[in-house]
Amino acid sequence: MTVHNPLRDPRDRRLPRVPPPCALVVFGVTGDLARKKLIPAVYDLANRGLLPPGFVLLGFARRDWGDGDFESVAKAAAKQGARTGFREETWSRLAEAIRFLPGSFDDDKAFDKLATTLVDLDKSHGTQGNAAFYLSIPPAAFPTVLAQMKRTGMADNHKSGAWRRVVVEKPFGEDLASAKDLNHMVDDVFTGQDVFRIDHYLGKETVQNLLALRFANELFEPIWNRQHIDSVQITMAEDVGIGTRAGFYEETGAARDVLQNHLLQLLALTAMEEPASFDAESLRIEKRKVLSAVMPPSNMANGVVRGQYEQGWLAGERVKGYRAEDGVAPASTTETYAAVRLEVESRRWAGVPFYLRTGKRLPRRVTEIAVLFRKAPVLPFTRTDTEELGSNQLVVRVQPDEGMTLRFGSKVPGTQMEVRDVAMDFLYGEAFTESSPEAYERLLLDVLLGDASLFPQNAEVEESWRVIDPIEAYWRERDAAGGTPQLYRAGEWGPRAADEMLARDGRKWRRP
Amino acid sequence: MTTLWDTTGTAVVKAMSNERRESGAVSSGLALTLVVVVDEKRVTEAEVAATRAAAQHPCRLLVVVRRRPDAPEPRLDAEVSVGGRLGPGEAAVMRMYGRLALHAESVVLPLLAPDAPVVTWWYGQPPVLLAHDPLAIFADRRVTDCHLAEDVDVALKQRAKDYVPGDTDLAWTGTTDWRALCASTFDAVSEAPTKVVVVGQAGSPVRALFAGWLSSRLGLTVKVTDGDGDPIHEVAFTTSAGEIRLVRGDGRTVLLHRPGQPERTMPLPERDLGELLAEELQRLDADEPYSEALSKATRTTLSGVDPRVHVWVDPAEGQESNLVQGGAHAKVGAQPDPNAPDPTQDPKQARKQEAEAGGKPPAAAKGSRGRSSDRT
Repeated sequence: MTVHNPLRDPRDRRLPRVPPPCALVVFGVTGDLARKKLIPAVYDLANRGLLPPGFVLLGFARRDWGDGDFESVAKAAAKQGARTGFREETWSRLAEAIRFLPGSFDDDKAFDKLATTLVDLDKSHGTQGNAAFYLSIPPAAFPTVLAQMKRTGMADNHKSGAWRRVVVEKPFGEDLASAKDLNHMVDDVFTGQDVFRIDHYLGKETVQNLLALRFANELFEPIWNRQHIDSVQITMAEDVGIGTRAGFYEETGAARDVLQNHLLQLLALTAMEEPASFDAESLRIEKRKVLSAVMPPSNMANGVVRGQYEQGWLAGERVKGYRAEDGVAPASTTETYAAVRLEVESRRWAGVPFYLRTGKRLPRRVTEIAVLFRKAPVLPFTRTDTEELGSNQLVVRVQPDEGMTLRFGSKVPGTQMEVRDVAMDFLYGEAFTESSPEAYERLLLDVLLGDASLFPQNAEVEESWRVIDPIEAYWRERDAAGGTPQLYRAGEWGPRAADEMLARDGRKWRRP
Repeated sequence: MTTLWDTTGTAVVKAMSNERRESGAVSSGLALTLVVVVDEKRVTEAEVAATRAAAQHPCRLLVVVRRRPDAPEPRLDAEVSVGGRLGPGEAAVMRMYGRLALHAESVVLPLLAPDAPVVTWWYGQPPVLLAHDPLAIFADRRVTDCHLAEDVDVALKQRAKDYVPGDTDLAWTGTTDWRALCASTFDAVSEAPTKVVVVGQAGSPVRALFAGWLSSRLGLTVKVTDGDGDPIHEVAFTTSAGEIRLVRGDGRTVLLHRPGQPERTMPLPERDLGELLAEELQRLDADEPYSEALSKATRTTLSGVDPRVHVWVDPAEGQESNLVQGGAHAKVGAQPDPNAPDPTQDPKQARKQEAEAGGKPPAAAKGSRGRSSDRT
């Protein structure tokens, strides 16, 4: 429903975007993600006055709880996880709008109750029937829940006479075939534009800033191509191990867990052409176009590396090797590190390798996009003057210390002409502005506003699997032949084979 | 931190670059320069607020405290810090005594961050005409605070008469939360209001601007009545479907009453002066909704002249009453009066020389575009 609101003025940028009245229905509300991220994000939105008057948070889980039990659990979660200060007033106002429905996913009665509750909430809270369903549940439970939604018609915009949206967390399938199945299943119940796939990296301020950097400036875009760029390195490193997620991780591995979604999305934003506008559709078109031009390595042996961490020392503490973690098979070949050399087959990027790497138990937690430029074609200095001169780099630091670094050659002060690299650091995001919103907060708000620009579309997910599947297939082949991941000590920047992969191209990894 | 007693502007500039070098801040992401004009008694409040705002918008912070303009000898004391008690950026607090206070721009101009936008914020009684203060002339955005005026109604009227795009007032910033609540309420209402009543504290500039905004958006005359306590206590909209009322509740909440719907409680975010100021630094372009609200609130046509040209006012000339009552600008925007004394024709030769030495020479000002259109 669009109402002309005389109090809204496009010139009035002080007024925040506030979503229309709606209910946020969370399945699996007792889970880790809901407690650590989702509920605090809802609280922060409420505290910033960004939730509409008719807002309801409705939890659904298999617990013998009443509204009050859920409210106290949610309150504890909000107190612990909220970014903005906890205020009793905000909470008591939000508490009026918290409901809980007990039930298991195969319980028809519980879903019938849910459907009628959504209608009742309009009367009691004025939600106007709008609802977003957040599926914070294991993928195995998807078919059941979606079938229930279809049966009750609660996913149908027409039947409910309001908007109904669904939010899906990764993993979006485990290969191309299962991703397609999943997409069909979701698209069968919800209309395509009502499906929001959350990749929380895209909610980060710096990632959006990358688009501003590229497309709002005259300075960078003219050199953003193969004539000037030598290579691109995209890194997502974690210092933690797998923690208690052994069951999930054994099945998944680094490539499916991180490479397929976060790293390929970052690649897409780095490499895509300028969108016609910044609406969701134009962005998706460009991202999809560039992802479809990404080619898996033609020679797998030279283009991919998988690794697994061994026991070692990290940040002053001894840590276990992967195979010694609880719940991991003693002879597991699951990779905890993956590096891959991809090419983008377009006029802009032909011949520029994109090196993507991710791993656990690396020396520190860092995510960055490093664009490495070619060396100057001619150096009018004697060779000894420029011995320390590397290539120019533009690094977008996604986390932590959101910001940018530019590396360029500069004269060493003194009487001799000597040039060396210096780094100019630009901190504008998180570090300087204390109140940069958490990614989940931003993405949740976008879901309720119906703005899909920061959410990958099903076609993008499928294109990503097209790149990852051959790599996984190659590793399964190697497994069958008795191959194992390359070992690296916990606290090292990955296996030696990854360094060798770049050395073959005459390059080396940047130390983030 | 460097403290300089009885110093010069050049020494302050040097101290700032030394501080930068010593603190290791070899590069910084400056978005703007914030100039704060404040009296000694409010310095601490202003510093706290500016520091808070600087944490959100990286800026160079220049605090100007004018002290005892009648002191016989001009004198400058300064405190310069980078990444110290005044936030992460570069900051200088400057106390100017004697006649120097009237030429603050001579110290401030060389300290502005190169080519970055300048915001000047008066935390105190706003100048009658912003053009009276040379620190307004080079500012891209000028923030006043009508809360602190002796007579709020006169001050608001004055802001309206003096308005030039880029002016704004913290009383307007204070309306944002209520405006957001009203706007989000009407996202879900299709009937246009036919009558609006605003209840709030008598004499509050926030109430006046809020009512002005409603009036400008809805094209209605908004009735304003007095309530006690909060600047805005209640707003009631009459529509064909019934009455929609937002009433301030306990603590920082607002109760929303809609016909046929249960009552709802909405939070009213708690914002201190620093956060209000940070909102002002968010965008530096002209604020048209403010100008429309101001015009409606004061029933005044906005008639300021853009760009502003410095108008020399000397408090030692006994024009104190001008500063408050607006004798000087009664001329501005009115018919030219051949008998009125020209402020640029200063009777005392010494003062005139001084005016020429600092800021705009009166002769040049007189012939410039700004001055001549002043009189039309």
